[in-house]
Amino acid sequence: MENNIENKEMTAQQSLNLISEMMNNSRKSILSKNGKHFILWGALLTIVSFVIYELWHTTGNANWNLLWLAMPIIGFPMVKVISKKDAEIPQNIISRQISGLWLAYCAFVMVIFVASVFFLKPMQMNLSLIIVLLLGFTECISGIMLKNWTIIISGFILGVGGAFAATLIQSAEQLLMFTIGGIIITATGLIVKSQYK
Amino acid sequence: MFPKLDPLLHSELRLAVMSILAGVDSAEFSYIKKQTGATSGNLSVQLDKLSAAGYIIVEKGFKGKVPCTTCKITPVGLAAFENYVNSLKKYLI
Repeated sequence: MENNIENKEMTAQQSLNLISEMMNNSRKSILSKNGKHFILWGALLTIVSFVIYELWHTTGNANWNLLWLAMPIIGFPMVKVISKKDAEIPQNIISRQISGLWLAYCAFVMVIFVASVFFLKPMQMNLSLIIVLLLGFTECISGIMLKNWTIIISGFILGVGGAFAATLIQSAEQLLMFTIGGIIITATGLIVKSQYK
Repeated sequence: MFPKLDPLLHSELRLAVMSILAGVDSAEFSYIKKQTGATSGNLSVQLDKLSAAGYIIVEKGFKGKVPCTTCKITPVGLAAFENYVNSLKKYLI
């Protein structure tokens, strides 16, 4: 669209073209903002999971898993910084639902994580299996909302593949699933950003 | 017989504004200005017309210490927009 809309009248076809162009442009800028959030959380997951893996693997101490709490502590302030930069970009129904979906994922994971650390005996619950399955499922649903097959399939592979890996692989090596998951989520963000550029 | 098009919406800038607002929860003045490329003065006038017709709600507030105008489409505006689009389609069939 020419960056200069006046008050002139249009033909029916011009009107429909204008409506479609305005809606598309708006949708693109909104979903591109969502892409940044995928990149942020994906990169954070990759780094945190790999650091915990290295520390656990090297020292043999599983208590390094408490470092997972660093994710929300670092992540949410960074979300605030990103949101401030894109403050004028509004929300639409898709972006709002995707945000809600991932917040629900965070709530599930936090509660399960805290409950398993403080109230259950070690290894009583296969925490990695539950978290990776939920991660893949959330990614898959995000793909359905964004109508993007790459994201749907990668979410499915992450969830199902991760669940099998969590059953077969033991201790520190399980964390590498999350490193791969983080890379997939970062890639999702890059796909979303390029798709809605 | 072709249906009569809503004269309020059959103007390029007002239609662009309504198209943006139809797809979002609400939008700031600066966002609409950026998306349409309109001047502040012209956009303000058109927003006032849409607001006077009850098609949108314009709320003036503050974001921190900075003034911030937010626009939101109303159910009346959404219905008018849908009617307008349906009427346009009849012109093209």
